[in-house]
Amino acid sequence: MENEEKVMTGEESLKIITDMINRTKINIGQGSFHLIFWGWLVLFCSLAQILISKFTSYHAPWNVWILTIPGVFVSLIYGFTHGRKEEFHTYSERVFMMTWIGFVIVTFMLALFLHKNGELMAQFILLAAGFPTFVSGFILKFRPLVWGGIAFWVLSLAAYLAGPETGQFAVPLGMLLGYLVPGYMLRSRGSYDTI
Amino acid sequence: MTQFKDLDPVLHSQLRLAVMSLLMGVEEAEFSWLREQTNSTAGNLSIQISKLKDAGYIDVEKKFRNNYPLTSCKITDNGRKNFIDYVSALKDYLNPEKQ
Repeated sequence: MENEEKVMTGEESLKIITDMINRTKINIGQGSFHLIFWGWLVLFCSLAQILISKFTSYHAPWNVWILTIPGVFVSLIYGFTHGRKEEFHTYSERVFMMTWIGFVIVTFMLALFLHKNGELMAQFILLAAGFPTFVSGFILKFRPLVWGGIAFWVLSLAAYLAGPETGQFAVPLGMLLGYLVPGYMLRSRGSYDTI
Repeated sequence: MTQFKDLDPVLHSQLRLAVMSLLMGVEEAEFSWLREQTNSTAGNLSIQISKLKDAGYIDVEKKFRNNYPLTSCKITDNGRKNFIDYVSALKDYLNPEKQ
């Protein structure tokens, strides 16, 4: 694109606009990292809590969730270092990031409010997790993530109806359907995609 | 007789239009990325970016990353408005019967 003084026709102008707008892509590589990382971390914590409470006499099995605090720092450091390397930032990426930051705040508030009422935790965390997953699916135009968000909400309802004993299995199942399956599918789609 | 709106001369240039089209879709972009996407030389791109900046269509920020200079560009509200007007005028050119 060198000869800037060349007179363009209307069709040429339109072609340039279309070509260039199609080059604006969203970085989906980061999205898949966070989904897979949190999918495995929460899956581990939820299963560990179930196993500790079932097979040991330890009085505070929910302490395993403390692992999510360093997890937040891992996500922040990864997001910050990779975000700095990006040569452009789209508005969708900003919406994507803010939605997930909002979710992290909501989750920690819920954990604070509900930590003495553990049987309600699963359904509320799943309810909250469904929202950013569902919205991210639409931002990325990635249907498995939309279905993942819906799966969280269905499992939240199932946990409520089934009661705490059976309902606690909804969290690891939710991580599998809501984060890990869409996360690995997203990773296989490539690092970047057109929004 | 069909009346056409004049096409904005700042935007009616291949490279400037390409840069503005790219910036319409992103929040901000680095010079190196714009050069890669438009397949232009650094010198030519630099001149066209200066023209867009002087017209008030984009903001240019110079910063440093790991001791290397970094130029990032962002479309202004004025630039966005003029781009939309340009596209609207272009549509009139391409579909004069709809006027």
